[in-house]
Amino acid sequence: MAVTQGTETPAPPYLGRSVRIVGPVANVDMNQTPHPKNSRGELGKALFNWYRNTISRDPLTRVSAPNHFADPRNFLASVVNQAPKGKISSKQMPVSDPAAMTRHIKAVAHHMGADVVTVARAHPSFLYAASTPPSGARDVYQNRSGDVYQGRTPEQMTERYPYIIVATTAWDYDKLQAHRHYIGDAAYHVSQMKAQLILKALEGYIRELGYAALRGMSNPQAAGLASGVGELGRNGLLIHRKFGARVHMPDPIMTDLPLVPDQPVDNGVEDFCKICRKCAINCPTNSVPFGDKVVFNGVEKYKINWLTCYKVRPYMDAHWGSCLTCATVCPFTKPNVWWRSLTVWALSTCPIPARPLLVRALKAIDDRFWGTTRQTRVRWLGYDSGIKPGEQACTVAGCTAEHGTAHAAEPVGNVGYYAPLKENTNRFVKRDA
Amino acid sequence: MTLRSGWLKLPWRQEGRRNRDPYWDFFINTPPADRANSVFDVIRMAPEGNVFPTRADLHSPEVTARHVKEMAHYLGADLVGITELDHDDAGHPFAIVCAVRADVDPREAAGIGGQVPVQNGLFVTFVLSAWIRELGYRASMAPTLDGARLAVIAKLGTLDRAGRLVTRELGTRVHVADVIRTDLPLTAA
Repeated sequence: MAVTQGTETPAPPYLGRSVRIVGPVANVDMNQTPHPKNSRGELGKALFNWYRNTISRDPLTRVSAPNHFADPRNFLASVVNQAPKGKISSKQMPVSDPAAMTRHIKAVAHHMGADVVTVARAHPSFLYAASTPPSGARDVYQNRSGDVYQGRTPEQMTERYPYIIVATTAWDYDKLQAHRHYIGDAAYHVSQMKAQLILKALEGYIRELGYAALRGMSNPQAAGLASGVGELGRNGLLIHRKFGARVHMPDPIMTDLPLVPDQPVDNGVEDFCKICRKCAINCPTNSVPFGDKVVFNGVEKYKINWLTCYKVRPYMDAHWGSCLTCATVCPFTKPNVWWRSLTVWALSTCPIPARPLLVRALKAIDDRFWGTTRQTRVRWLGYDSGIKPGEQACTVAGCTAEHGTAHAAEPVGNVGYYAPLKENTNRFVKRDA
Repeated sequence: MTLRSGWLKLPWRQEGRRNRDPYWDFFINTPPADRANSVFDVIRMAPEGNVFPTRADLHSPEVTARHVKEMAHYLGADLVGITELDHDDAGHPFAIVCAVRADVDPREAAGIGGQVPVQNGLFVTFVLSAWIRELGYRASMAPTLDGARLAVIAKLGTLDRAGRLVTRELGTRVHVADVIRTDLPLTAA
């Protein structure tokens, strides 16, 4: 699909060491990705019912998750994403120096609260195929690439709109430690909502400058790789230099504003993922591969089993909405402090043949001090991950309220409990290696 | 959103970088030609969501007030205060006042950049009031209430001669977001 008769196809893009394009890449149809498939009921009744008809038990999830809300009017991203688009200003800002404009756009996004801003040169294979979502979708990821294309080919689109701005936020490190818990969901969903607000505002600002800003067009991971947000890890997530795997990849902005694109980075992720396998060992559904990279749709990369990853969610509805285990246990996911900067710098400046040795040492340090699995107890607001799943207790200091009768004893020790436990999932999901 | 710790930051470097940026003044001061390109109108005009029919199991009012403040800080508010409302037309007993850092005063800078504190304030108050409604209590954003006056009652700071809020932490570089009126059981200050 990427190759249209009679048009020039540019050379395959360089995406860094972690991903290699080896064959023809068909443009991804947004309607064939997991969430739209599920919203049409193609993944079975249990998943469909969970996706469309359930309301979360957690009040914070009901205001921050892209589904499971009781009333979409209480969910900011649905308000923001469904807002009408503004007009492109008739007075176009002249750009004499694209490098200055690139610095400006990055400063603007940081000023609005983005943690990561990069610019990619658009490539036809990054774009979604021209498609329109089914009408009446409850999903807020409204992907309307069909409207944006207006009969052009992907090659013509990238010629006309040659740059993709990737602006995103990172999840809170301390809350993420409570992965497979509502606390981790809060870290994920609240920053996702913030990122969507920032992107909407940035999109409006680019129109005010007098240039086009298109959303719902580009695959965020491809643009993220090409612009050096990070490298693709074994867990299928982009791993950033500062934040590790805890960055969102929301819908980026495609634009004709003159900019200078960034280059792919080398964080040492490629060398680390060959050896580490911490995410594969910890994945509760064994969806992360233990084996080598595979070629899928002309792209050589680690490929997770998205279906088993997705299928566990309805059963965990009472405990969490987003699993996040592979992001949490990743040794690159650390607080953004000097010793992390130093380590990533050492790894990325180390000559490539010597890296396996360094990686083994770093992996041993990570296992020793952060543990082979993550069981940190996190307390935030009234939540406490030290209470076992299914039990109830009030552990808030100074609370004198009556909480009813069904209360367990105070938790002992400093261990967090995250459902489901690994031994419970080994029974029904087979390992692939 | 993220951890603020890290390398020691030099406060004057960012200023210098902005002075050299030829587009920064446009970003801060030029009002948008089409208001649909700024996000706050759509958030302000959005209809209020329903109150969740089942009330959440709350902690004691002091603890709930602490949690509300913690949540507001997590959403990006720099200062949060709670006051009692004496005679509110809808009978809400409490007001939550959130203030965010504003390097340029949004009342003077009309550009999309100058209005970023308003955008951040709306993010906090929208999500916070929606969260209280999902806890099963009434909460609404009230742009008609005088935020600066209520912020003084909530002990966030004092008013200067021009009627602006002056705070210990941020001086006058502060924007008071829309006040939230609620009947969530809280304690003032």
